[in-house]
Amino acid sequence: MLFSMSRNPEEPVYNRIEEARTALGLTRQELADKVGVHYQTIGYLEREEYSPSLVLALRIAKALNQEVSELFSQTPFKKGK
Amino acid sequence: MFKKNKIYWFEGVTEKGVKALLNDENPKYRWLRQQRNRRILVILMAVGLVLISMGSYWPTLKTNLNLSPEVGVVVYSVTAIFVILAMVGGYSFLRIAVRSIADAPDELLDERQIAVRNTSFRYAYFILGYVLMGLMVLMFFGPELQMFKPEGNDGSYLVIAIFFTCAALPSMILAWRERDI
Repeated sequence: MLFSMSRNPEEPVYNRIEEARTALGLTRQELADKVGVHYQTIGYLEREEYSPSLVLALRIAKALNQEVSELFSQTPFKKGK
Repeated sequence: MFKKNKIYWFEGVTEKGVKALLNDENPKYRWLRQQRNRRILVILMAVGLVLISMGSYWPTLKTNLNLSPEVGVVVYSVTAIFVILAMVGGYSFLRIAVRSIADAPDELLDERQIAVRNTSFRYAYFILGYVLMGLMVLMFFGPELQMFKPEGNDGSYLVIAIFFTCAALPSMILAWRERDI
């Protein structure tokens, strides 16, 4: 790739957005509308190809009824946790 | 109630126009969302830019084809108009292909879109610098090497090519590198 989209590709941010979103029965478009971003940005976030700003991370956590620390981590999440 | 369509004069876009592209309101442009098609468009634009920048060589081509001066002028003018119109059309498609992200104001984009837009402009700036450096070398050494002898309005083709490059390059970079737009 010519250049990376991640804020810092050396320090990836892992997340459980997709898991939390599907648990609430939300589509990407619905979550995008709730947090005020384009639906493809949700796709980039779920694929961990883009790390959100703190403000966006807080908005996503609020929309998914979770704490930021439950949704985002600097270490990979264990499956099913 | 009828909502006024805000015009962003500096960026050359309208609020409704950008929102329509961002929200896929017109399904007939779906084919432009595929990265392969976007890359073909970028290649065609690059070829068009090279063709325009080489406009000064077209009269030589006319001479080589042994056309009469009258026919030559018509062929030359029609070709020039066709190439420039094709570039305008290509640029319009390019803007649609990248959902106007390269031209839209910050308030209509989200943070990822702003980030990729800014990165594309940064790379466009560098590439433009190298293109101008190449042209400078061509202008400086071209006449010495019998490669390029600008006469009369010959330089205007370079100016037109640079104008199109400045306008289209950020969108071309976005269209090339983004997997999903």
